[in-house]
Amino acid sequence: MKLVIKDLTKTYKNGVKAIDNLSLEIGTGMFGLLGPNGAGKSSLMRTIATLQSPDSGSIMFGDINVLEDKMALRKVLGYLPQSFGVYPKMSAEALLDYFATLKGVSSKVDRNALVREVLEITNLYDVRKKHVAGYSGGMKQRFGIAQLLLNNPKLIIVDEPTAGLDPAERHRFLNVLREVGTNCTVIFSTHIVEDVKELCTDMAILNGGKILMQATPTQARESLRGKIWTKVVERDELEQMEAMYNVLSSNYNEDNTLNIRVHSDTLPADDFVAAEPQLDDVYFIALKQDEPIDS
Amino acid sequence: MFFTIFTHELRYWLKKPATYIYAAIFFVLAFFMASASAGIFDSVTVTTGSSRIVNSPIGIFNLYNALTIFIFFLFPSIIGISIYRDYKSEMHTILYSYPFSKANYLFAKFFSAIVVVTGIVFVIGIGMFIGFRFPGTNSELVAPFDLQSYLYTYLVYILPNVLLFGAIVFAVVTFTRNIAAGFITIVLLIFIQGLMEGLLSDSDNRALAAMLDPYGASAADYYVRYWTVAEQNEWHLPFKGLIIYNRLLWLGIASLIFGLVYKFFSFSQNAVSFSFRKDKGERSVKRNFGGITKINLPKVSFDYSFLQNLKTMWKLSNMEFLYIVKSWPFISILIVGLIIVLISLSEIGNLFGTPTLPVTWKMLNGGSAFVIAINICTFLYAGLLVHRGNITRMEDLIDVTPIPNWTLFLSKFIALLKMQLVMLAIIMASGMLFQIYNGYYNFEIGHYVYELFVLSFISYAIWAFLSMFVQTLMRNPYLGLFVLIVLAIGMPLLSLAGVEQAIFKYNQGPGYAYSDMNGYGDSFGLYMIYKLYWLFCGLVLLVFTALFWVRGLPDSFKERIQIAKRRLTLKMTILLSVFVIGFLALGFRIYYQNNILNTRISSKESELRTVEWEKTYKKYENAAQPRIVAVKANVNIFPKQLNFDASGEYVMINKTDVAIDSIFLNHNSYPSTFEFDKPNTLVSEDTIYNFDIYELKQPMLPGDSLTLSFTVKNKPNSLLEKNSPVRHNGTFINNFQIFPNLGYNGGELQDNKIREKYDLPPNELKPMPTDSTALGNTYIGKDSDWVDFEATVSTSEDQIAIAPGYLQKEWTENGRRYFHYKMDSKILNFYGFNSAEYEVKKDTWKDVNLEIYYHKGHEYNLDRMMAGMKASLEYNTKNFSPYQHKQLRIIEFPRTGGSFAQSFPNTIPFSEGVGFIADVDETEEGGVDYPFAITVHEVAHQWWAHQVIGADVLGATMLSESLSEYVSLKVLEHQQGKSQMRKFLKEALDDYLTQRTFESKREKPLMYNDGQGYIRYQKGSLVFYAISDYIGEEKLNNALKAYVEKVKFQEAPYTTSVEMVDYIKEVTPDSLQYVIKDMFETITLYENRVADVTSTELENGKYQVDIHFQVSKYRNDEKGKRFFSDNGKDSLQYQSETMKKPEYSVPLADYIDIGIFGEEEVNGVKKETELYLKKQKITQIDNHISIIVDEKPVEVGVDPYNKLIDTNSNDNRKKL
Repeated sequence: MKLVIKDLTKTYKNGVKAIDNLSLEIGTGMFGLLGPNGAGKSSLMRTIATLQSPDSGSIMFGDINVLEDKMALRKVLGYLPQSFGVYPKMSAEALLDYFATLKGVSSKVDRNALVREVLEITNLYDVRKKHVAGYSGGMKQRFGIAQLLLNNPKLIIVDEPTAGLDPAERHRFLNVLREVGTNCTVIFSTHIVEDVKELCTDMAILNGGKILMQATPTQARESLRGKIWTKVVERDELEQMEAMYNVLSSNYNEDNTLNIRVHSDTLPADDFVAAEPQLDDVYFIALKQDEPIDS
Repeated sequence: MFFTIFTHELRYWLKKPATYIYAAIFFVLAFFMASASAGIFDSVTVTTGSSRIVNSPIGIFNLYNALTIFIFFLFPSIIGISIYRDYKSEMHTILYSYPFSKANYLFAKFFSAIVVVTGIVFVIGIGMFIGFRFPGTNSELVAPFDLQSYLYTYLVYILPNVLLFGAIVFAVVTFTRNIAAGFITIVLLIFIQGLMEGLLSDSDNRALAAMLDPYGASAADYYVRYWTVAEQNEWHLPFKGLIIYNRLLWLGIASLIFGLVYKFFSFSQNAVSFSFRKDKGERSVKRNFGGITKINLPKVSFDYSFLQNLKTMWKLSNMEFLYIVKSWPFISILIVGLIIVLISLSEIGNLFGTPTLPVTWKMLNGGSAFVIAINICTFLYAGLLVHRGNITRMEDLIDVTPIPNWTLFLSKFIALLKMQLVMLAIIMASGMLFQIYNGYYNFEIGHYVYELFVLSFISYAIWAFLSMFVQTLMRNPYLGLFVLIVLAIGMPLLSLAGVEQAIFKYNQGPGYAYSDMNGYGDSFGLYMIYKLYWLFCGLVLLVFTALFWVRGLPDSFKERIQIAKRRLTLKMTILLSVFVIGFLALGFRIYYQNNILNTRISSKESELRTVEWEKTYKKYENAAQPRIVAVKANVNIFPKQLNFDASGEYVMINKTDVAIDSIFLNHNSYPSTFEFDKPNTLVSEDTIYNFDIYELKQPMLPGDSLTLSFTVKNKPNSLLEKNSPVRHNGTFINNFQIFPNLGYNGGELQDNKIREKYDLPPNELKPMPTDSTALGNTYIGKDSDWVDFEATVSTSEDQIAIAPGYLQKEWTENGRRYFHYKMDSKILNFYGFNSAEYEVKKDTWKDVNLEIYYHKGHEYNLDRMMAGMKASLEYNTKNFSPYQHKQLRIIEFPRTGGSFAQSFPNTIPFSEGVGFIADVDETEEGGVDYPFAITVHEVAHQWWAHQVIGADVLGATMLSESLSEYVSLKVLEHQQGKSQMRKFLKEALDDYLTQRTFESKREKPLMYNDGQGYIRYQKGSLVFYAISDYIGEEKLNNALKAYVEKVKFQEAPYTTSVEMVDYIKEVTPDSLQYVIKDMFETITLYENRVADVTSTELENGKYQVDIHFQVSKYRNDEKGKRFFSDNGKDSLQYQSETMKKPEYSVPLADYIDIGIFGEEEVNGVKKETELYLKKQKITQIDNHISIIVDEKPVEVGVDPYNKLIDTNSNDNRKKL
């Protein structure tokens, strides 16, 4: 099923235009929504997740008009917000049973089986009797995945789920997400390019409430083939380089020199060497092009 | 650093709209209360008229303190939040690593919040100040602005309290990091205040309560509780003794709490938590888990049907309910509420130290102390449930599930109702436990269940609707709670502004009352109709709750309104319309009944009518009218239908020496017919005041007679209105309620300031007893002297009907029982009719038949009452005159009709609440045997009212009530000894001194009293007891006997208090004549106290006791102003070195009891023995006396038995 967003706009009371005439099509598979902090990712995801109403525009998921028939979407929606809390003094098992009830699983036997399964998937079965409020960050995120699975969702929205997870937890989390996402649409927002590279079948870059670009990660990289150049420079040369070339990123080497990457259709200078394009380059180019031009 | 944080905090508060909302609410409250008390609404409601200055020092003290109590509810959300904010925003994780000291941090946080709170308190002061003086208030009630009154209240009470409660809340929130905890603390503290007030009712506990009351109000009350009106208007509140100690104690506790906060506070990341399970520290290691899991969710079925949602709603409600009952705010309110209930259960219904049996209705009444707990829990938990998702930040997860809104909010609403049911069940459980504890096993489970789970539950549920709505609108549960508390308290106060009809005030309406005899009577129907009406309103609110229910993250209130509009689908519109129509239809029906079908008379209109009545008809006040000499009545009571119809015949004689050409018939609004046996014309008929004038064709010449035949019945009853005084079981009607009378008979406005407003001459009170032209009427009625009486009363077959007189005949006809009564001697024109299913207990005293008609099950005290009848007959007969009847009956009536007994000729209706269910403790420690005492009093009325009846002038009630009370005291003393007297007198003294402070007009000396209860009962009993002590009981009774002999059954002119006092004066020695003056003719109060006492054992084994004591007395004028001399010149003066001001006294030549008491042990119990008691002549204020006694003295006293009226009876005795 396809998620089609058309001309979506949302302006907050304080004047911030969080979503600016945004249109987007998302098909089955993992969709990465990449953007810096404050780009409007969460606003967009909350709007799709029926938590916010836009000022104008439309969202369709298959036949479901999301803005008109919120209930229909909620039946097939799994949502994991950027941060969430839980009722204190309740165990994972009890909370999941509660969510399963909310999601319409009427039979007790069904609920028990379902809860057991999602606990096992997320590797929380051993701690099912413990209060979720006392979980560590990674466990809590896994609990978030567990509750999201309960209605066997067709559309899954996860908002910056890997922020703050240790590498092992992050891996585990992404694997589960990937597993879940094979048969449905998963929208996955992040500001970590790595996440998208590893998982996503499609991606978009969002900033200032607008989609800057949309492509598959491979396409995006391919489009830059032969346009990314790199060079090792001294620290002092950096400002000069930035003035002369379109510098995308610069990383320190161990000897206090810098590795800079430059975007250019042709070889910028003889001492540059061609580099394999990476997703980071795509991201930085997109953001750079969107920067306000100083007059 | 302190100032950086401090100013930052202040700026935060100044930017917050909530600060201004709070300030505005308090300003409006203060303004409303102050201006209403100063009479700003006089044009729409009753005129506020009183001799009380509303902004007197004590007036400001009371209002300012009362309003400040509301502020405490804001403490959690101002003082608590100030520190909680940093936790909630997780700012503390950063802040606590900054380089400032915890002193800076804590003090800045605390004092910035205190500044905000005191700012709001300041606004209250401004609101009061403006309110008192706002144009439209009555300037006569308002004294000039007095800064000292405001400052005193502010500095001595409010500021220390703000610091104390602020420190407590700050401490609680700091350590628990939980606002609810701070809130509960406030609720508990307010309960403690309630407890202190309970303690205050017993005068022995007052000093303790004064120390312990955290508000300090009890300490102030300790000194001002006996202040008269004049003193209240003028005096500034003291700052001394217990007040200082109390303030120091609590300020100390506040500092201690703050010190503890300082000591134990650390910039740590985790809250202090309490747990009974100590967890072992365990090293936590993550398991290594890589690997890919195959996801294979079991196939389950999803059910989104309506039915399933209903089931889910129930399931969720259980979950929410568990959350409430497991949360400790609930548990702590419950526990403290229970303690209060148990305390009030043991206090309620106590009379003279004797408790009432723990009958079920009493248990339920005691449970009403729980009302506050249930309401506060409802208000609070509505907020905590509505915002539960938001508070825990789980709302996003919930809001995206396919559960309809209604399932969510109804589940919370149902959880709230379940909580209420649990709390109601607790009232039942505690009531039954209390009954078991007291060995009372007559459990009326049905009664408990019906009242708690049907009657009161509906009312609580209606509050739950409003709570859900308000809490849904508000984004902050504590602001919502505050609004709800203001609404709940403010709703009844709207009457002050002229909103009198219950249909305009949420959840208001007639109540219900239970009596063992009559059940809930007819109160049930009307109660339910009003509750149904409010239930519809609640449902309307529920629909609005649905419309405004927050799902997701609306950006602004504007957006919420848009969402609400979108949610108003056809289905919702229909639902809403049905509820609105139901609400309006019922409302209109009630309004129609009260305002169109019946002319509803607002308090204002009623005031205006009283004015017009006086202006139109007072001119006939002294017109000559015939006197009723015989009454024949036929009264038919229909207990099932709650109807009555009656007919009667008055025989009247012109006893004047002029011809009478017009009859002024003053009747009631029941449908009636009147017919005279002489030709006449109705020349004036007044359907508003029901005052008709008949002109006789032939004037009645002196000695002529005239007969009036009349019929009267009630209008048909309807569900919304009951038009008769008949009850299903226990009807009690007197003749003034249903029968007509002759002539203008008063009922005028009393307050002179209000009278002036309507151009009425000042109220003269009744004439003085010395006015010989005013003695033509008794104070019972103006249209008769003594009458012949005969009555036939009928009732349903299962009931007995009673009227004064002897039963001549009893028969049954057409399924109804008839009783014909006839009196053999003349009686006052004052009689009642009773009907109920009675059991009868019979006995005789000499040749007098004694009967008690009682409700089955109320046998507990029949023997005491019977004994009381005999003892009273014996005492009165022996000391005064023979009993005029051959029969005496006590007749029980429901307590819903009042808690009193009333003496009609040979018939005494006696409320079930004042004796039938007393739990008398006959041991020495027990209280007064009041079933016995009240019976003696009422029987004494057969002499003191029904033989000796005073003229309708000032002081008349001394002849009836004070004397009956005197007889009751004396009989009690002879039967049960002097120790019972002390309990009785002490309570009488406290009641007299307390009640006179509420006097709104004027207090007159006993023999000129204007009928106030506290003078004729309490002061009367004290005075007569003291007189009998001074001149001797026998001497006094002989004087009274001679007096009775002269005046009993006399015709006009009637006797007065002056005549009786003259008889007493005659037997009083010259040296004691001053007692008559002090006690009867003036208002005189003593201030007696023992200053110092020492005792030395003499060589002969005796003891010499040296007592240093002071005696002084002063007189009050009718407003309570003090005078120390009768002629303006002579007064005594005394000043010791340590006294700042001299003490004055009216010149003394008084005989005062000096007593010395020892102690002996009888069966292991220590008992007081009297070693010495003698009256000493006292002529100066300061006195020293040496007395030698045989045994070891333990305690001494000046007027140790509190026989004199003394404003501080606690310092009369001193232990050695």
